[in-house]
Amino acid sequence: MIRNQRFWVAVAAFVFLSAVAASIILYFSRSESTVRIIQDGKVVTAFELEGHPDEELVFEYEGRKNIVEIKDGRLRMRSADCPDKLCERSGWCGKGSLPLICLPNRLVIEFTASDTDAVAR
Amino acid sequence: MDTKRLTRMALLTSFALIIFVIELQIPPFLPLPGFKLGLANIVTVYAVYVLRPADCALIVIARILLGTIIAGNPMALAMSLSGGLFCLIGMLLLSKVIDRRHIWVCSILGAALHNLGQTAAASAVMQTSAVFSYLPFLIVAGCAAGLFTGIMAQAAVNRLTRK
Amino acid sequence: MRLRPLIMLAAASLLVSCGSSDAQKQRVLYSMDTYMTFTAYGENADKGLSAAADVISELDGKWSAENENSEINVVNIHPGQAVKVSTDTASLTAFAKDMYIITDGALDISLQSVVKEWGFTSLEHHIPDDARLASLLKNTGADRIEIKDDSVTIPEGMTIGLGSVAKGAAGDIAAEELKRQGVESAILDLGGNIRTVGVKPDGSEWKVGIRDPFGDGIFGVLLVGETNIVTSGGYERYFELDGKRYWHILDPETGRPAESGIVSATAVGAEGRYCDALSTSMFVMGKDKAIEFWRSRRDFDLILVTDSREVLISEPLKESFFLQDGCDWSVTVIE
Repeated sequence: MIRNQRFWVAVAAFVFLSAVAASIILYFSRSESTVRIIQDGKVVTAFELEGHPDEELVFEYEGRKNIVEIKDGRLRMRSADCPDKLCERSGWCGKGSLPLICLPNRLVIEFTASDTDAVAR
Repeated sequence: MDTKRLTRMALLTSFALIIFVIELQIPPFLPLPGFKLGLANIVTVYAVYVLRPADCALIVIARILLGTIIAGNPMALAMSLSGGLFCLIGMLLLSKVIDRRHIWVCSILGAALHNLGQTAAASAVMQTSAVFSYLPFLIVAGCAAGLFTGIMAQAAVNRLTRK
Repeated sequence: MRLRPLIMLAAASLLVSCGSSDAQKQRVLYSMDTYMTFTAYGENADKGLSAAADVISELDGKWSAENENSEINVVNIHPGQAVKVSTDTASLTAFAKDMYIITDGALDISLQSVVKEWGFTSLEHHIPDDARLASLLKNTGADRIEIKDDSVTIPEGMTIGLGSVAKGAAGDIAAEELKRQGVESAILDLGGNIRTVGVKPDGSEWKVGIRDPFGDGIFGVLLVGETNIVTSGGYERYFELDGKRYWHILDPETGRPAESGIVSATAVGAEGRYCDALSTSMFVMGKDKAIEFWRSRRDFDLILVTDSREVLISEPLKESFFLQDGCDWSVTVIE
């Protein structure tokens, strides 16, 4: 069997496809669960999303408010005082998500892997 | 060792080295640690199908050592050697069963083995298995690169030599 | 590799269900004009965090510059009179006065009127002229504050604010409260002031990063046990006008943003309010004076970053500090 060339073509295809599958699975199962909230370029707060108590956080910029809701280990922009409201439409974000951004209010909520326990600033 | 053999090996090694140096100028366009096009392997794959195993080993080792000196990155040596030798041994074995019309297949598998060897060395050096999480991505890119170098090597082998 | 995270997850969930000793509890609070994140471990974590949050609230009530009923503001609207305050406030004010003397005027809590003039508090930014600053500076000088038997007297024309020492003091008090509630492992982030209690539940040290004054990330990590880490930098609160940056850490002598060549000053030590005071002081003092100051006392540790990207670190911290990968700044150990 191993002298059959098609066998080896199959092996190569298998290796390639497995790698593709593994890449896709890994890419989508990222587990960064440290939330960093940055307003106007400054890190306002950072915390672990997992096990975080359900609550609401309010951020203000030039009199406009963003309300972030944390529930069951996920968060979303519950309301935003801004013209486009794109951030409200992003829905619930869990660990490993792409950042939640409210551009007009300079608010960025990103998910990172924490390599430090805290940052002195 | 006769002069012809020595000259041939020297030529191939220099050729591989030149390709390697030129390739250094190309910035890695994928954010993967250890990502390389590996074009110099065209020479390695060619050698596997044309030269004796010992000669292949010499070419590969020489090219890696000289390449590391030129590139000025001694840290990468362990990874390059590990990847290069893993790949070479694998391809030498495969060349016994894969014919000259399927050299591209051998090259693809060799590329995957190269990534495996590279990653294993990296994990030993950095004492963490976290680097393995990049392996699938590296293999995807590696197979693609391997296909390309394999096709080039296959053309070279079939046109420059007769069985 | 796909199996590994699953196995680790299974093992971790077993651990978590077996004992809550490693369970992490967190609390985010808004106080002292900033966000604070308190993290505690162990079975008393919830209890401890509640108590700590209450304590912070109480202190904020006493020391806040925004709250017009705070003890500090009551003092401010009664200059020339001995105003009775709580022991916490009297003690902190006396401490701040001592620090003014010890740091040769680098730390001055009586600059509130100047800070206000710049608009850092009201967000109506403007650049005061020399004459205005000179007249405001006449009413400064923390050594003129009188503290006696839990009452504080400030001279006419002076306004004081505890902003440069409040969070440090609050951190220590909150940490004590946590310990009183039986918490042995916690890390408190009070708007960037870091206070730790004990070590991590698994016995390892805390990894505390220090903000890169030139960018978004961190330039180094400190491995520490129970301690305070306080950093002062112009990047925290500033405004830009005509391409120039004006930050809120002022030089008490000129009334203008301190430009001593230091862009980030970190003080590490056992006493929170001391570290808080020192980080601001060293930012104002500049490299040479800060090093001289440290050598004369050696009762804290420092990490300074200059505008030429030089890192200066006091010798005892040498083994605990790690420059970030990829950061090529020079590190000089101060003996």
